[in-house]
Amino acid sequence: MIKRQLGAGICRPALVVALLIMLTGCLEQSRTTVDDQGARVSGFDWGLPDHIPLPREPEDNPMTEEKFQLGRHLFYDTRLSSNGTISCSSCHHQDKAFSDGLAQASGATGERHPRNSQALVNVAWNNSLTWGNPSLGTIEKQIMIPLFGDDPIEHGLNEGNHEQVLRNLQAEPVYASLFAEAFPEQSDPLAGDLAWDNIVKALGSFVRGLVSFDSDFDRGTMSEQALRGERLFNSERLECFHCHAGYNFTDATTDRLTTFNTVLFHNTGLYNIDGLGAYPSPNTGRHEVTGNPGHMGQFRAPGLRNVALTAPYNHDGSVDTLEDVIRNYAAGGRLRVSPPYPGDGRMNPYKDGFIVSFSITESEIQDLVAFLESLTDQAFIANPRFSNPWTDNSNKDLTP
Amino acid sequence: MIRFCVLLALLLPVMGHAHYIPEDARLEVSASVAATWRSSSLVDEYEFWQIPGTMMGGHAWPQEKGVSVDEATLTVGSRINERVFGVIEIGSHGGGDDHSDEVELQHAYLGYVCCDSAGPWVLEAGKMSAVFSPSLASHAVDRWISDSPLINDVFFGRDFHDEGVRFWWHETAGVSAGVEVWRGNAYPATDTGDTNWDVFASYLWQGERFTLSGGGWFYQASASSRADHRYGGTHIHTPVAPPGVTATLFPDTRFTGDTDIAGLHGAIRYNPQPHWQWGVEAELMQMNMDGILHDSTGRQASVDSDQFGAWVQPYLQWRRHTMGLRGEWLSTDNHLVGAAAPVLATDSGLANPQDHDPERYTAFWHWQWRDNLALRTEVTEDRTLPESDLRWSVGVVWSGQLWPATSASGAGHHH
Repeated sequence: MIKRQLGAGICRPALVVALLIMLTGCLEQSRTTVDDQGARVSGFDWGLPDHIPLPREPEDNPMTEEKFQLGRHLFYDTRLSSNGTISCSSCHHQDKAFSDGLAQASGATGERHPRNSQALVNVAWNNSLTWGNPSLGTIEKQIMIPLFGDDPIEHGLNEGNHEQVLRNLQAEPVYASLFAEAFPEQSDPLAGDLAWDNIVKALGSFVRGLVSFDSDFDRGTMSEQALRGERLFNSERLECFHCHAGYNFTDATTDRLTTFNTVLFHNTGLYNIDGLGAYPSPNTGRHEVTGNPGHMGQFRAPGLRNVALTAPYNHDGSVDTLEDVIRNYAAGGRLRVSPPYPGDGRMNPYKDGFIVSFSITESEIQDLVAFLESLTDQAFIANPRFSNPWTDNSNKDLTP
Repeated sequence: MIRFCVLLALLLPVMGHAHYIPEDARLEVSASVAATWRSSSLVDEYEFWQIPGTMMGGHAWPQEKGVSVDEATLTVGSRINERVFGVIEIGSHGGGDDHSDEVELQHAYLGYVCCDSAGPWVLEAGKMSAVFSPSLASHAVDRWISDSPLINDVFFGRDFHDEGVRFWWHETAGVSAGVEVWRGNAYPATDTGDTNWDVFASYLWQGERFTLSGGGWFYQASASSRADHRYGGTHIHTPVAPPGVTATLFPDTRFTGDTDIAGLHGAIRYNPQPHWQWGVEAELMQMNMDGILHDSTGRQASVDSDQFGAWVQPYLQWRRHTMGLRGEWLSTDNHLVGAAAPVLATDSGLANPQDHDPERYTAFWHWQWRDNLALRTEVTEDRTLPESDLRWSVGVVWSGQLWPATSASGAGHHH
């Protein structure tokens, strides 16, 4: 009797278990499908590591190798200025990661630019392109400013001289084939207003193609000191990584994966000339464009790739070394007791919330600098693809 | 014999629930604690527990090597008058030394019993656990196994405490049914989304030797920018690892959209002899998630996910000893569309490059050594991650009434 009851007691639950296990057998094989809608497709060989998303390409100026090569020739051509003295490369030297080592550069007429020349490193991923102008969304629009701007004068092109400049370019035999290859759908791409549109697009393509992702940091070959610096950089004590975020170490980054962007600018407490937060004119940053008092002193956080090559620092080149940049942040801003522009930037009311003082030793500063130096891409500054094509070694095969 | 059976019924409910209706006008204070030693950690230090193909969150911490307090609760309840009762419970969820296992208010609700002292209609409001799923409503001390069911971890972040209102037909003729409306503080909802609600029904039949129960439920949650609060969701701190060890920053990917989960549960218990019982418990859940993944850098991708999970737990009881098995299975089917879909799939955990089917199998022995004190040991083959993990665990469970003093646990009306 007991045996029969136990037997029934076993069979019934066993049947239920068997049924339930059979049910779980109906589970389908797990899978995840992903459709990136062509986000990794480009007609241009960017040569990027797998983890770096492609940058956006303007619909009216998709990247091609031919436009890149034409832009490279134009970038280094001093004929692209009012008096034949200035080219883009005058303020953007390859060995300095396309900065110029000066606090402020001078244009074709000798007029001094109030801003420090920015490095041209991975510009394709920037969501804003100048130190403080939130309205400039494309490289092509930005290029118009150094070419045709008059405050300050850089290349010095204007209504009165642009036809002569174009004639000088037309006289260069190399350009006939370069323009034809870059714009094969046009019958005469080096003529008239269309030529200037093409020049800007080609320059934009070259600048967009200046790609740097081959540093010790990228290769994972950082020194122990640099690794210590990286931990400091990513620490909540120093807070560096909030504004210098992501693969380009700036929060002003966009790529094909982003569907919306917030254009960010920051006041780092460099100046406070009136005790109310003012920056010296005309360098008032985003405020210069918007007129909004709350935007006083706000500038774009520059990317830090190759930053060790781009001294002096900050928007006006007023800080000589990376050590001093770090010391200013450690102090929560800069105190200037002597001219020009004395004032206590630490007390600037428009200062970004992340610019708070922190304690740091000299040894830690050196660690942090070692980390920043590990972002230097020696291959980038020596890459013949990015070098001056008008020199003797310009006939090399430079396809990527 | 009757006394033994009553005691056994108190100690061994078909499925343990955390919900509690005080029946006595006196203040009742009870407490419970479950602590477990485990032989290994599911993930290494400075790593995240992220089951491939799933989005996780809530309190679904990974099991850690060594001793941990899985759960500790202190419950105070009283019948305020013939129709009104109140319950307050504070407790902590386990999660290891580095996790957010601080004490929190888990229950604070008032209830109104309508029509007679035992129901059938009950209206409750406040912070409380959901009752739609018996396993989700149960505490760690109520289960045979220290680990909560895998589908509870994945679909609900292990537990469910939220502010809400419940109106239900309460255990009359074996039937319970009702509706719950939630504010949205419990994973997978957020309180910035739309209404979160559920409906449920269950049936309990008790015969001379058989006890059967079963039920079904449907839960709908809305989330806006939902984070995985285990590791992210607020100001992200970079993990600090010792020199030479890499600590990965948690990718704070958010979900905005709707989650629908439906479930069926059932239990059968049979006692062929006075000291012997057999039983099987099981639960199935089907989850659909439809919305957008996004992150702070402006990346977005649409996601449509169907996931199905189940667990089955047969067991054998002899006197105060219970031995059994629990098998758990999860199947995921996710589809992401958008330029950022590949990276967001990886960051969110929905990527499943190996088409991994998460599984977990646990064998347990539970010994109710004293009325309020139980010991349990388990061996678990954990295949929730592509690399399987075999771990042993030994635990102790204490549960009892502190005031007024009684010899048996389970005073009040747990169900």
